[in-house]
Amino acid sequence: MATQLGQVSSGVGSAPDETAGPTLPTPVKKRFTGGATTVIVRRVLGAIVSLFAVLVFNFFLFRVLPGDPARKLARNRHLSAEQVMELRRSMGLDQPLGQQFLTYLQGLAHGDLGQSFSKHMPVSEYIGDRIWPTVLLVGVSTILSIVFGIWIGIKGAWQRGSAFDRVSNATSLTLYSMPEFWLGIVLLMLLAGNQVGLGLFPTGGMHSVTPPEGVLANALDVAYHLFLPCLTLTLAYLAEFSLVMRSSLLDEMGQDYLTTARAKGLRDLKVRRRHAVPNALLPTTTLIFLHFGFIISGALTVEIVYSWPGLGTASLEALQFPDFNLLQGIFLLFAASTIIFNLVGDLLLGLFDPRVREA
Amino acid sequence: MTSFTSGSGRTGRRLAAAITALGLAVLLPATAAVAQDGSPSPAAKKVFTIGIQQDPDSLNPFNGYLSSAYEAQGIMYDLLTGWSDEDFGPVPQLADSWEKSSDGLTWTFKIHPGVKWSDGQPLTAKDVAYTFNRTINGANERPKYDAYVKNIKDVVALDDVTAEFHLNAADPIMDHLWVPIIPEHIWKNIKSKDVPSFDNEDNPVGSGPWVMTERKPGEFIRFAANKNYYRGGPKLDELIFKIFEDEDAMVQALRKGEIDAVDSLGGTTFQSLQDAPGVTTVKSKGLGFNEIGINVGAQTVENKPIGDGHPALKDRAVRQAIAYATDRNVLVDRVLRGLGSAGASIIPPAYADIYYTPGDKEYKFDLNRANSLLDGAGYTRGPDGIRVDPSGKKLSFRLFGREDSEESKASVQFVQGWLKEIGIDTKVQIMAEDKLTEVIGNGEFDLFEWGWGVEPDPDFQVSVFTCDQRSYTDSGTIYAGWSDSFYCNSAYDTLYKQQSTQLDRPQRATTIKQMQDMLYTDVPYVVTYYQDNLQAYRSDRWTGLKPDASGAIYFGYGTDRYRSIDHPSESGDSGGISTGVLIGVGAVVAIGLVAGGVALARSRATEGERE
Repeated sequence: MATQLGQVSSGVGSAPDETAGPTLPTPVKKRFTGGATTVIVRRVLGAIVSLFAVLVFNFFLFRVLPGDPARKLARNRHLSAEQVMELRRSMGLDQPLGQQFLTYLQGLAHGDLGQSFSKHMPVSEYIGDRIWPTVLLVGVSTILSIVFGIWIGIKGAWQRGSAFDRVSNATSLTLYSMPEFWLGIVLLMLLAGNQVGLGLFPTGGMHSVTPPEGVLANALDVAYHLFLPCLTLTLAYLAEFSLVMRSSLLDEMGQDYLTTARAKGLRDLKVRRRHAVPNALLPTTTLIFLHFGFIISGALTVEIVYSWPGLGTASLEALQFPDFNLLQGIFLLFAASTIIFNLVGDLLLGLFDPRVREA
Repeated sequence: MTSFTSGSGRTGRRLAAAITALGLAVLLPATAAVAQDGSPSPAAKKVFTIGIQQDPDSLNPFNGYLSSAYEAQGIMYDLLTGWSDEDFGPVPQLADSWEKSSDGLTWTFKIHPGVKWSDGQPLTAKDVAYTFNRTINGANERPKYDAYVKNIKDVVALDDVTAEFHLNAADPIMDHLWVPIIPEHIWKNIKSKDVPSFDNEDNPVGSGPWVMTERKPGEFIRFAANKNYYRGGPKLDELIFKIFEDEDAMVQALRKGEIDAVDSLGGTTFQSLQDAPGVTTVKSKGLGFNEIGINVGAQTVENKPIGDGHPALKDRAVRQAIAYATDRNVLVDRVLRGLGSAGASIIPPAYADIYYTPGDKEYKFDLNRANSLLDGAGYTRGPDGIRVDPSGKKLSFRLFGREDSEESKASVQFVQGWLKEIGIDTKVQIMAEDKLTEVIGNGEFDLFEWGWGVEPDPDFQVSVFTCDQRSYTDSGTIYAGWSDSFYCNSAYDTLYKQQSTQLDRPQRATTIKQMQDMLYTDVPYVVTYYQDNLQAYRSDRWTGLKPDASGAIYFGYGTDRYRSIDHPSESGDSGGISTGVLIGVGAVVAIGLVAGGVALARSRATEGERE
């Protein structure tokens, strides 16, 4: 048992040398000194250690949950005690926890996430079905909220105290403080329902049950279903970007170098675009990468309101079961995406900001 | 640093322009494409869409335990016999007739001649024999159907239309074998070891009135009508199960006409739909009951005491006092908003021939009677008004409610109030069902609120109270059986064995009622209520929804299975999204993008002027 564990962890330990290479394209390498490379290796190592910690933690956390998957399967069928034991055996749940963990690690080494108890299919296959709707929904709304958020933040800061600034600030704060599912259900009532609303958009799902013919029409059908959940998330995320952008630009606006730039006779727009905004973008960039990490995990409540067939609804169902293997798979993916985007964000920030490189 | 700075302004502008252009490029032709595609509309198709709140876990008949999976599999595959729409009795489905030998050990089923699988192959008694023999002998096939095949030795096809079942012991379940018949020519290629992960979604072949044609996981399942169904093909062309994760969204979809029907509504939603235009609400008798379960003294099957239940609950007088102190009518009115009926025993009134009524024994709500019962049994009130048992231990019980159910939380509050009146203190704790299952299995409870769904055949439900269903120990770990009261009574067990071989239904009903009488007297459960089953559909567009014996129009035991649903007149409307709406939305989005682009450009222009 010890040797097996040793083998697995040594495998993980050797990974940074392999992954560190490709993340450093040659032109970048030239810009970094030896010290910077150490920083990068340290960061990558750190990411791998966190990922492994999450893996171990997930495995044991979900097994502490009350609930017996075999019994749950048996519930509607009223199986005899022997049949329930048989189910437990076929799920591997009769094994000691340590043995189950080893089996899990061995499978994982071969890219096998195991079998879902509740969906009766391989976990990787099920996640494969569910991941793209989530990436589409959260991806599009994140990009929209970044674009509009940054624009609002810049405009608000530059015209501080103006009507635009006051209105946008108040609105984005209000939207930010609303629970996402509540905002979702309000928009659904107003725009999808026709009891008090306009009935313009579908109430749920990602496709019409009678989908139109043709690839383009189909894409449009998805866009039509995407509109409301995407609007909800965009509105909810907007303030995160606009407020950070606004405050960091305000910080920069008090700086001496802007006065210098103006004193040089640079026009207002040029001062803003060439000098103030790029510097003020740094905190927002960090935020963007933090946010991309949540793309996969971020939309649970909105997915539920709009019956969006993504990982959010999938994880809820898995948790209710509890489907250990499916939960592990989903949360491993959540954790991996967060860790990887953080790492990429860290490394890229080093490109933009020399201070980070030296840290 | 410098290069990054100088690039950002230009990149930003180019990005904005590119997004706008891309948006227009995609949306405009798409809108046009829809406009063209939409013109030859297949308006004649009759599509019935039902909103459900549970994605079937599997369409493979050997997997799938959710009720939505049973519904989907039930319309794709046939059983030998169905349940009558009058009284749940056996009626012909694949089998036209059946007879048993006098000892009940041989059953012969005559299969409807000329039935074809959905791929055109003939369905014969060989398929029936194959299905049962595979189920009996397959490690992965047997678990789901164990209750039905436990006494069957083997099945032999005597000819194309005759299947003979050989049994080890007589079993009354034989005319209600809930085992879907599968085609041998398809399933012989699916190995037993692959059954647990076989999804059966690629052109599944069945004999039922509906054929599954498309499944989008988490979204919907589409079924096409089998117009050649041997008991009459559906009038509809398509049936769709659409999944909603949120009940409010589902109800909005019904009001709007995006879907045609909804299942298992909550009480509040149901009442809000009662005056919705074009919608008819359907209230049917619930096939289940709720109860306050009592720990009557937890022991494993080896009679080893486990857990920490309050010793006073071993006393029948205390349990009867709790029954007298529970006002079931108030629970129905206040907790269920009147959508249900007061409970008595573990068989709901929908199953009329085995339903038990206590008569004179009824524990009519009577706090004085409860108090005097406790006084008489020696439980005196302490200075704080709480009773103590003869050993001096306070009558203070844990009372567990379920987090997932508003009704459960409300019920335990009411019960707590009533028990206080009779000098019993309760500590209410709300927990998840999984957690509750665990603490009950370990005997670490006093009282709890939960319920059961009850099948037409009562065997399982009455078995819950047999000694064998108490928790058991396997290599040091305690596992829960089905018993959650730890009731154990050898006279009851004898009756259980007796009913399990009684082939004469009226005789068996008498035994089942005797058993319920014992339970009523001994009070391992205080059965609180039978909750109604709530459904609603668009009666302005559809007619012909035939209720089963409980009154449910789908997701029940009916023989109709969506076959007679049709439009009331010629005013056909499939209820999909119209092409017009799609074009409208496309246009709105396109206009939005253009406006955004213009605004962006203008703001840049004004800034330019300011420069």
